[in-house]
Amino acid sequence: MSNTNPELVEKFTAMAKAVAATVAEVPSREEAFKYIVDLTLSKDPCELLADEPDTEKGPLGPNRVPTRVQRVIAAPSLDDEAFAELDKLCQEKGILCLRDNVRKYAAGIDLGLNEAVAGVAASGTCLCPTTDENVRLAGMISEISVIMLKKSTIYPDLPSVAHIMREAIGQGASFTTLITGPSRTADIECVSAVGVHGPLAMHILLLED
Amino acid sequence: MQTAPKSYSAYHKEIDEALNDEQLRKTLGTYAVNYRTNRANVMRDVDEKGLIRAIADFKDEAAAHMEELYKQFKEEAEKRGAHVYLAKTADEANQIISDIAKREGVKRIIKSKSMTSEETLLNHKLEADGYIVDETDLGEWIIQLRHETPSHMVMPAIHLSRYQIAEDFSKVTHVKQDPDIDRLVKVARVQLRRKFIAGDMGISGCNFAIAECGAITTVTNEGNARMVETMPRVHTVLVGLDKLTPTIDEAMIALQILPRNATAQRITSYVSWVAGPTKWLGSPEGQKSMHIVFLDNGRTKYVKDPIFKEVFRCVRCGACTNVCPVFTLIGGHKMGYIYMGAIGLILTYLYHGEDKAKYLCQNCVGCEACHNVCAGGIDLPKLIREVRNRLVDDGNGDMMGSLMKMVMTNRKLFHSLLRFASKAQKPVTGGTQFQRHLPMMFMKRHDFRALPAIAEKAFRDLWPNIAPKVSNPVARVAIFAGCAQDFIYPEQLIAAVKVLAARNVAVDFPMAQTCCGLPLSMMGQRKGVQDVARQNVRAFVDGNYDYIITLCASCGSTLKFQYPTYLANDSDITSGVLDRFVNKITDFSTFCRDVLDLKPEDFTNTHEKVTFHGSCHQCRALKAAGKSRELIGSAADYVACNEEEVCCGFGGTYSVKFPEISAEIISRKVKNIVDTKADRVVMDCPGCVLQIRGHAEKANAGIKVTHLSELMAENILPK
Repeated sequence: MSNTNPELVEKFTAMAKAVAATVAEVPSREEAFKYIVDLTLSKDPCELLADEPDTEKGPLGPNRVPTRVQRVIAAPSLDDEAFAELDKLCQEKGILCLRDNVRKYAAGIDLGLNEAVAGVAASGTCLCPTTDENVRLAGMISEISVIMLKKSTIYPDLPSVAHIMREAIGQGASFTTLITGPSRTADIECVSAVGVHGPLAMHILLLED
Repeated sequence: MQTAPKSYSAYHKEIDEALNDEQLRKTLGTYAVNYRTNRANVMRDVDEKGLIRAIADFKDEAAAHMEELYKQFKEEAEKRGAHVYLAKTADEANQIISDIAKREGVKRIIKSKSMTSEETLLNHKLEADGYIVDETDLGEWIIQLRHETPSHMVMPAIHLSRYQIAEDFSKVTHVKQDPDIDRLVKVARVQLRRKFIAGDMGISGCNFAIAECGAITTVTNEGNARMVETMPRVHTVLVGLDKLTPTIDEAMIALQILPRNATAQRITSYVSWVAGPTKWLGSPEGQKSMHIVFLDNGRTKYVKDPIFKEVFRCVRCGACTNVCPVFTLIGGHKMGYIYMGAIGLILTYLYHGEDKAKYLCQNCVGCEACHNVCAGGIDLPKLIREVRNRLVDDGNGDMMGSLMKMVMTNRKLFHSLLRFASKAQKPVTGGTQFQRHLPMMFMKRHDFRALPAIAEKAFRDLWPNIAPKVSNPVARVAIFAGCAQDFIYPEQLIAAVKVLAARNVAVDFPMAQTCCGLPLSMMGQRKGVQDVARQNVRAFVDGNYDYIITLCASCGSTLKFQYPTYLANDSDITSGVLDRFVNKITDFSTFCRDVLDLKPEDFTNTHEKVTFHGSCHQCRALKAAGKSRELIGSAADYVACNEEEVCCGFGGTYSVKFPEISAEIISRKVKNIVDTKADRVVMDCPGCVLQIRGHAEKANAGIKVTHLSELMAENILPK
């Protein structure tokens, strides 16, 4: 693994910001988790986009649907130790931290955490292995998608991550995703709008090795 | 369901509808301008031409090995647990998918965008078989609610306004919805999430089917494709055989151009790479099933066609529609059957047959704008002309084309008719440069421009008296006149001869030359083009010329870029002779700028304010517009014009076949020219002079319209 190239980090940051992603450099995993918890607490309550009969509901959200009273984060890709660390922080703040069963919350959750194995500087793109359905859904049904990316894994352009894609696809059934900014559309009068079927916002946390 | 026009009169009616649709005109007009700027911005950080070349190369290679790649893909995908099918026809593909749904016990189907499923009319079949089908791409959902078809490959609902959409959404939600775009987008978010959850089967398209690992990729922005691929237990993919891609590396190359070309994005929000069915957590059994249906529908046939095989370089980015001046006016519903724009005119013929393509394929002005931006470097105008050729071959041509062939391939007859017209027109020209009192045969539709008079004397008849004597020339050239300059605007050639003689260039004019053949080529008269092409090559081949100079960009590009195709493997003209001819073809601007090295010190600069119209073939075929601009700057004060390189709407016979579209294009062009406040507009093509001067005259635009050669001749200093 190559060392961090500050030029690539700078380029990646600029390109991700250009597509409405928020990029933050965090010195440690602990700081990243604090960032995630703060973000969850400071955002508007999550809207429920489908029926969840037994769920406690708050006042209607901006789209005239009920909101979820319980704050929810999904972080299914974390290893045992990291998940325990985040879960502890969440519990202190009354946030539910999911590791599996994410599908049950398909009506919407506050924040989904994913980990990228590579970044693409030329377009501010994150390469995320998402074979595990829980991991994939975390980045799809959340209102805010947060991706952690190690600075040292940022590559210049798409061709330079082809070998990582090949590795991620592997020899068995797999699902890999290149993610760049929040979900968006320009289908109405060619006017760009974010937050269609996926996240309304995206944050990328750049970590040191 | 979309229909294709069955006659010219029916087609004109449809076109009129579109031209009167103000919302459509406004949206498409704004989009065309923004797209050009935004695309240029995001292309700046890549090697655009190099990447396009690389895409063309790998797509050609993949097309040549379609069947092997299919085998490899199937093996790899099956190894990962997917089922792979091959459908010969559209109906077969639909049946396979309906059968899968039945076998899998599916009731509700959710779809992400797939043009291939539009090609097979899949929804009709599935709905007829009793399935509930919901489109989930915002644009596709909107048009599904309206029972319409996509009008653009990437932005299916581009023809609709926020007001129309708000009304549709109010109906479906039973709540009044505001015409606010952000809010409307969220209506789709709210309405469709439950459909994702309830869906039993997801159907997606595929941008690249990667043989090395059996993965399908979807390139999307909204996130609906990922939902379609993830939420339901069954994932079915419908994909054309032309999407087979050898390895991940090629996909990464194409991904650098596809989104830039499609929506001026560096990349889309999501690119999913699905290699086989993953675990499904919606039930305790926990296994997804994945079915990949490849569609042939003529692909394996046309991949063996020496000319049409180029079409398989298409990555469905829609750039050819975004830059098309015709699309910009009438939209995709009137410029295609299922697929639209330049690629649509061709694919309609290949996938949906001659009947559907017959009139649609005529609606290309031949401006080369699409060729210039195509992600696979496809020579779209050439393929559209080839569709017309095949229609003529199959007896589906029109009378106008056959008549033109008869007259134009007989040079003496053609020229006598033109000389006769010069005499016969006197009552209508009233001695002016225009045909002022046209007989009734010219209907109202054609009234948008004043037609020029045929010159009193053709250039060829003046030549013996004006041929300059040059001793110790710096170069020997022959002029290729083309019909318009020979018979309508000889003054443009006379001006050029003056400039050339002033710089000691020996000029000749071979009398056996005739029409370059472009009008015949536009009409699909392949044999006619070959006939005049042979006449022209023979007329010049024996002369002692260093260059053959053209002052008509359209003729120049025909001689240089179409002759090699039309005369390939010709029994009369050897490839050596053809090469020599083609290599000598040089446009006037390039010759003056690069060979004669004309600079400001060669001219008296009168500081006249002069703007430029970049003729289609001058900009995009000969690529000499920059040289014309430099020459203008040397002889006068150059003023830039908005949309300077956009077509003027002439297109030869195009403006006769589709006068209503030609009229709209030229009025926008002349408005842009007038807005520059220049005294004069110059160009390097007599066809454009005819169109622009004709409309400027009708519109009393008060601007002088001349060939670049005339500006130069007025100001050139003697050596």
